[in-house]
Amino acid sequence: MEKKVAVVGYAQTRYEPDSDASREILVLEVAEGALKSAGITRDDVDTVITANNDYLDGRTISNMRLVEPAGAWLKDESKVEMDGAYAALYAMMRILSGDHDVALVIGVGQASVYATYIPGIMTLDPTFDRERGLLNEVSAAALQARAYMNAYGITEEHIAEVSVKNLRNAALNPLALRQMPDLTTDEVLDSRMLYSPVRELNAFPPSDGACGVVLASADKVPGITGNPAWIRGVGFSHDSYLTERPLHKLESLKLAAESAYAMADIADPKEEIGLAEIHENFAHEELMAYEALGFCGQGKGGELMQSGATRIDGELPVNPSGGALSANAACAVGLARITEATMQVRGEAGERQVQGVTTALAHGQTGPCAQENIVFILGGE
Amino acid sequence: MQDVAVVGIGLSKHVSKRRDVNIAELVYEAVSAAYEDTGLSPHDIGAVITGNMPAFEGVNLPELWGAGHWGAYNKPLLRITTGGTTGGSVVHGAFYAVASGIFDAVIAIAFEKQSDGDTTMGLNTVALADIAPMLLYGADPTLLISMGGGAIGAVAYQATSYMKSSGCTTHHLDKVAAMCRDNAAKNPYAHLQQPGITPEEVAKTKMMEYPLRFGHCCPATDGACAMIITSGEKAKKITDCPAYIKSCTSCSDEGAVFGLYGGGTANVDPCEQEGCKIAAKKAYELAGIKDPSREIDVAEPYAPFANQLLMFYERLLLCEEGGAPAVLDSGSMYLDGDLPVCPSGGVISTNAIGASAMERVAECAMQIMGKAGEHQVKKEVHNAVAHGWGGALNLIVVAVLGDTPRG
Repeated sequence: MEKKVAVVGYAQTRYEPDSDASREILVLEVAEGALKSAGITRDDVDTVITANNDYLDGRTISNMRLVEPAGAWLKDESKVEMDGAYAALYAMMRILSGDHDVALVIGVGQASVYATYIPGIMTLDPTFDRERGLLNEVSAAALQARAYMNAYGITEEHIAEVSVKNLRNAALNPLALRQMPDLTTDEVLDSRMLYSPVRELNAFPPSDGACGVVLASADKVPGITGNPAWIRGVGFSHDSYLTERPLHKLESLKLAAESAYAMADIADPKEEIGLAEIHENFAHEELMAYEALGFCGQGKGGELMQSGATRIDGELPVNPSGGALSANAACAVGLARITEATMQVRGEAGERQVQGVTTALAHGQTGPCAQENIVFILGGE
Repeated sequence: MQDVAVVGIGLSKHVSKRRDVNIAELVYEAVSAAYEDTGLSPHDIGAVITGNMPAFEGVNLPELWGAGHWGAYNKPLLRITTGGTTGGSVVHGAFYAVASGIFDAVIAIAFEKQSDGDTTMGLNTVALADIAPMLLYGADPTLLISMGGGAIGAVAYQATSYMKSSGCTTHHLDKVAAMCRDNAAKNPYAHLQQPGITPEEVAKTKMMEYPLRFGHCCPATDGACAMIITSGEKAKKITDCPAYIKSCTSCSDEGAVFGLYGGGTANVDPCEQEGCKIAAKKAYELAGIKDPSREIDVAEPYAPFANQLLMFYERLLLCEEGGAPAVLDSGSMYLDGDLPVCPSGGVISTNAIGASAMERVAECAMQIMGKAGEHQVKKEVHNAVAHGWGGALNLIVVAVLGDTPRG
C-alpha cells in the first residue's frame, strides 16, 4: 500500500504492576500524550477507536466510560474488543474509506483489578473445557510450548534465551515493567514453574497501562509531521479454537503475515524487514512467530534465536523494547508494538534505537495460544 | 470510496429461551441462512466482522470458541462491541472493511443468547461504577434501588423528561407499543407477536416504573442476525436489488444520567440525545439527503421502550422536536403510512441485544430489496434510516441505506 495512512503520533504510559491511576486516567494520559506528540488538538480528530475487553475491565460496555477521557465525546467513536493492534486496523479502514481523516486509537489494560487468568478461562467452550477446570491462559500456553518443543526438538534453553534477550532489552526502555539488564539463562530456568514448561520469566507480567496512537490520511500527514510512519501493509487471521487445531505452529500468524507482505510488496521478509516488534505473551511464542513470519524455516526458531540474529545488535532485531514479556497491559500490547515500530522507523527510540531501520513489523494477537493474529508493516518517509 | 451494499440477510428464530441450541449453534442458524439467501459460501467471503454484548451470557470473546462454526476458520476476523449499539457497530465495521477497499465481501454477525446469563446483572456492572461514588456523595439509597432495575430504571427518567418536553402522553406510549407488536405479528422472526393488540390492552399491563408499563418494554430475546455485505460491483452480480449502505455514522455523548463517576457531567438530559442529532445530520449529508422527512421512506429507530420510538424519530431529524406524538396520531408511522416506523416490530418486540442494532439495518435492507414479506410497507422504499442506541444512554449509531449507491 502506497502512502495512504500513517502513524503520526503516539504515547504510552509507564507500565506498572499496580498503578495508582484509574483506567480513565491511564486513557486520559495517552490521549493527551498522543495528540501532543502529533501536535494536534481534539478538534482535529474525526474518529476515536478504543480497544478493551469487558471481562478484563469488569464492566460491560467498557467503552462508554472511556468516551470522556479519550476525548471522544460528540465524535464518531467505536470499540474493538481485541488486542489494540486491531483497533489501529479499524481506524485505518475508516480513514481509507475517505469518510475520516484523523483517528485516535487507544488500548488500555489494568491487570491489577482482575485475577489474571480468569478472563482466559471465560473464553473456553463453556460446556466442556471450562467445566473440566484444566485449561487457563497459562496451562494452554504450556500445552502449546510442549507441542512445539516435541515437534521440532526445541529445548527449554532456547525458550529461556528469548526471555533473557527481551528482558535485557527492556532495561533500555524506561516504560517497561520488567527491566533485567543482567538476566541469565540459568536465572530464567530457575524461576518459578507455573505449568511445565512455562516458568514465571517465560510468561507475561500482568500490567497496568495504556497506549495511544494517532493515524492520519495522506492528505493530512504533511500538515502534521515531516516524519510519518506509513502503514505499508496489514494482514490478520483467525484460527480454530484451542482444542481444534494443531498447536505446534501459528497458522493464523502465517496467513496474516502473507497478506501483510503482499500488501507491502515484500518478497523476502528476512532481508527486507529491518526490525520486528512481536506480541509474545509467552517466550516460546516468539520462536514460533519467527517461523510463521518467514524469518526462518519451520522448526528453526530455536536456531535463529541462538544465531544472535534477533538480538538488538543482530541482523533482524526482535523486540528491542523488551516486548510483551517486559510489559503487558492486555489490550494495549499490540498498539505498543506499533508504537515501538513507529519510534524505530522515525529514529525516536532513544537508547533502544536500532540504526537504519526503514521497514518495521508490528504484531498483535488475541485469544489463548495466539489464536488470532495481526501483522502491520510500517515504513519511514 | 468503494460502494457498499447488503446482498443477503439471515436471521435465527427469536424467542425467550433457545434451550435447543448453544451460542455457536444459534449463530450458525443466522449465518447459514444468510449464505442460503445469496447462494454464496464462506469461500466467497474475505472477512468476518462480529460482536455481541460482552458479559451477558458468560462467555468472553465467544467467537474464539464458536466462529469456526460460522465459516471464520483461517479468515480475517474483527470483533466490535459497543453495548446496545453493537449490532450497528458491527455493520459499520463491515461497511468500512469494504469501503476501504481492503475487502470485496464480508459477513457481519451479531447475536445474543440472553437466556444463558443474566442481562440485568450484566448491566449492573455498569451502574456499580457510579453507585460507589454516589453513596459517598450522600445519595439516597432508594434512588439507587431504582437504578438497579437495569435499563428500565434509567429510561424512566428519559421517558418522563421526553413527555414533559414534547407533550407525549401515556396514551401515545400505549399506541406505539400496540403498533409495534401488531407489526411484529407479521414478522416471522419477531419475538413478541400480538396481532390486533389495542392501546387499551397495553394500558392495562402492570406498571414497571412510571411511566413505563410492562407492555411498553422490550422482552429479553435469544437470537442472531447475519448480513453479507459486498462492494457495489460484486453486489450487482449477486442480486438484482442490492440495498446500498450510503453512510454509517456514530456519535458518543458524555455519559448521561450520572456521568463519569457521578462527577457532574450528569447534567446531560437523557432525552436530549444530542449525539443522535449529530450522527443523523452527518449520515444524511454523506448520503446526499437534504430533507430527511421527505426523502426517507422507512425508519427503524432502536426503541426498546415505547417513548424512545417517538423521541428518536425526532432526534433522527424526521420531524420537528416535540412533533412525533402528532405524527403518530396522523397515522403516518403505520405500515401503510407516509413514513412507516419499525415495520419489523422494532426492538420493543424483539431484543437479542447484541443483534438488535444490526436487525434495524437488516430490516431497512429488506424493505429496500422488497423482501420483507407481510411486513413490507405499502409505499415504494428508496431510502431508509437505521439507528442504534446504548451505553449509559450515550452511544448512538446511524446508517442510511438506499436503492442506489451514494451519489
